[in-house]
Amino acid sequence: MKKLKNIFIISVYLFIASAFLPKQKETILDFSLKNIDGKMISLANYKDAKGFIIVFTCNHCPFAKLYPPRLNALNKKYDSLGVPLIAISSTDTMMYEEDTYPNMVIKATNEQFSFPYLFDEMQSVAKNFKAQKTPHAFVIWKENNQWVVKYNGAIDDNGMEPDKVTESYVANAVDALLANKKITTTETKSIGCQIAFRK
Amino acid sequence: MNKIVCFTLVVLFFINNTKAQSIQIVKFDGLKNITFNKSDTTYVINFFASWCKPCLEEIPTFIQFIDSTKNTKTKVLFVSVDLKNELNKSLIAVVKKYSLPPIYLLDEPNGNNWISDIDKNWSGAIPATLIVKKGRKKHFITSTITYQNLINLTQ
Repeated sequence: MKKLKNIFIISVYLFIASAFLPKQKETILDFSLKNIDGKMISLANYKDAKGFIIVFTCNHCPFAKLYPPRLNALNKKYDSLGVPLIAISSTDTMMYEEDTYPNMVIKATNEQFSFPYLFDEMQSVAKNFKAQKTPHAFVIWKENNQWVVKYNGAIDDNGMEPDKVTESYVANAVDALLANKKITTTETKSIGCQIAFRK
Repeated sequence: MNKIVCFTLVVLFFINNTKAQSIQIVKFDGLKNITFNKSDTTYVINFFASWCKPCLEEIPTFIQFIDSTKNTKTKVLFVSVDLKNELNKSLIAVVKKYSLPPIYLLDEPNGNNWISDIDKNWSGAIPATLIVKKGRKKHFITSTITYQNLINLTQ
């Protein structure tokens, strides 16, 4: 009986203590998805990458449509610094015909994507990232051989008018990580098209 | 919380304006300055967009709910988060197609300024529906909503 009581007291202490622990690091697992050129891509393919900019996007979403030129610019700048950009489409293609793999190939070709555009057919990668909408950007960084989420949210603070962007959230996060500084904004919210998960 | 209340108030102001056009542009920021809403009306605020298929699929449910709550103090407000440049195209088409009551277009280019004010766990994905009773947020739903949900949540 006393033993039980002790266990109870310890559990209560642990429960209270857990409230004061720093938020646990969100890590993500590597994946293997088909790119628009038919080849499979994994994070492990990039031996020298310090981190990645992962953008959940799709063909059909008006908000996502505003960003390809900006994604090209981000990739151009950060790929050479060891932080490549990878776009992933996880939308339910049963719901949106525009998001099927052949249509992804067409879009990436027409808009000259300089980055991989991967097809997350099973939606498992979106689930792993807890990606909720398009566009939804993540900056992940390699720490002790794990991929740690450092930023998640909007790409910048003005989707519709790129000239009026005052804060480039993703770029700022990557710059901070490269300079070994603290990221000022680690999470932002923005309107987007929901990634509806099939049941 | 006050922001939501003010937001509701401004929207209420617009809905009372009989000359209001079918689409009224509103700012979230400007809404903060308006005083507390003590009305006993329950507001069902549906965030949608003309390009959001699941949102459009829910509209008939909201219309049915509007019809069945006509004589109660319950009001449904459709708030579009469409891009402003869509105003004259797809959004008008949706308003006509579904015979929507006057709707609101939220003119806020940076979602990060207002989304957390609605609900701190909301990522900004739509559809999303907020239920406000007597100036207090009661429910926030991002999953598919049914007629029965609406009835239960507004009671």
